[in-house]
Amino acid sequence: MSLKQLDVRGEICPYPMMKTVQALKKLTPADAGLEVTTDHAPALETIPTQAARLGYTAVIEETGTPEWKIRLTRQSS
Amino acid sequence: MNSLLGLEQKRGGLLATLAAAGIWLAAFGVDAEMALFWGYGLAFGFVLQRSRLCFASAFRDIFLLQHGRTLKALLAGLAVATVGFGLVMSKQIPNPTLGFLPPTANVLPIGLHLVLGGLIFGFGMVVAGGCVSGSVYRMGEGYVASWVSFGGILLGLLGTAYTWNWWWDFSIAEGPRIWLPTYLGHGGALGLTLLALLGTYLAVVWWESRSGIVIPESPFVGREEPDFRTRLGDNLRQIFVHGWPVVTGGLALGALNVMLFYTAHPWGFTGELSRWMLGLSNALGFGPGALQGAADLPGCTLEVGSEQGLLHHMLFLVWGMVMGSFVGALFSGEFKLRRPRQPRRYWQAAGGGLLMGVGATLAMGCTIGAFFSAIPSLALNGWVFALCLAAGAWLGVQLIQRYE
Repeated sequence: MSLKQLDVRGEICPYPMMKTVQALKKLTPADAGLEVTTDHAPALETIPTQAARLGYTAVIEETGTPEWKIRLTRQSS
Repeated sequence: MNSLLGLEQKRGGLLATLAAAGIWLAAFGVDAEMALFWGYGLAFGFVLQRSRLCFASAFRDIFLLQHGRTLKALLAGLAVATVGFGLVMSKQIPNPTLGFLPPTANVLPIGLHLVLGGLIFGFGMVVAGGCVSGSVYRMGEGYVASWVSFGGILLGLLGTAYTWNWWWDFSIAEGPRIWLPTYLGHGGALGLTLLALLGTYLAVVWWESRSGIVIPESPFVGREEPDFRTRLGDNLRQIFVHGWPVVTGGLALGALNVMLFYTAHPWGFTGELSRWMLGLSNALGFGPGALQGAADLPGCTLEVGSEQGLLHHMLFLVWGMVMGSFVGALFSGEFKLRRPRQPRRYWQAAGGGLLMGVGATLAMGCTIGAFFSAIPSLALNGWVFALCLAAGAWLGVQLIQRYE
């Protein structure tokens, strides 16, 4: 199943994290999760923490450029 | 276009390092102190960029995320700086109970100006998405909004300078300058400050414990091969590519601040920013003119300028920080011109910056001068400012949560 996409590139602190939390709350049970594209390095700490509180696990993918993809999927337990 | 690939960034990092070294040499040719402060600026900027340490998020995230990772890092840095500052000041003023104040420590008048300054600054830094030091290091990383904030800060400092003399009569002149060693001696003041830092740390842990889950920082994973070359490569990657744990940044900033205080005066830069604006506006004939009492106060109090003109050692500290962050961002492959898509963000950056300029004028410093350098000065004003910053940050969080 493909993940819903959220692009928060260009956003200033702390909106990448806040927009991610909003998008996670809007996911329906049909959605497998969310893939966030960000260029804000501090979000690599804040997004996984806040996502975990909502029951999502984070995997960060480096792209070789100053942009990252954070894949958030539901914890299976 | 805006995102350079890793290898290009590393080449850029080498070029930027050479440029920084060139400026150091040129500055050394003019004045050794300028070269020294350029070096300090580079170090501060590099540490801030590598540890992504933002004073605004330290206060904001307590309320926004209910976690205090960054605030705890600052407390650790403050503890280091407190011990170092305490040692330096005990040499400056061997007998503190006589009532003399250390000349360069940030012991500043307490009063309504400080309370309002802290509230306005704390609110502004959350709206702008970064405080003064945060904006300065993000300028080096290519955040366009941070350059806008910086412009707002400069205008805020200039605008509020016209009201300085009123504030001086109203509250600053009569405000007590309370240096704890005057009442408790050096040991007592140092002990009490460290205990208060410990108490704050425990309060942060308690606050975090009420909010549930906290994810540990992602550890650096090295390679298995035991040979020297691989190990060295891993160590260099850990320093230059992988983000530092924020507490490493806090401790490094605390140590650098002690070195800077030992060299000349504590870390700070809104005083220098005001010097550019007031020097320029006064030279052009529309400036606020003389400021009562400002020249006699330490720290980041407004400065009207000096005979040296623009070439002041602090100029090198401020731009050294931008350069140090730029170098750090290039080596880690994190430099990118980042432009917010919503036009509103530019207004937020400018407005938040303007408020920070207002707050920094009234409080005679920003999160650095009035907080990170004031608490280690064993000065009560640092704690008053910190509380007001936190309250202002709380107000800012209420605003950004309601209006995105």
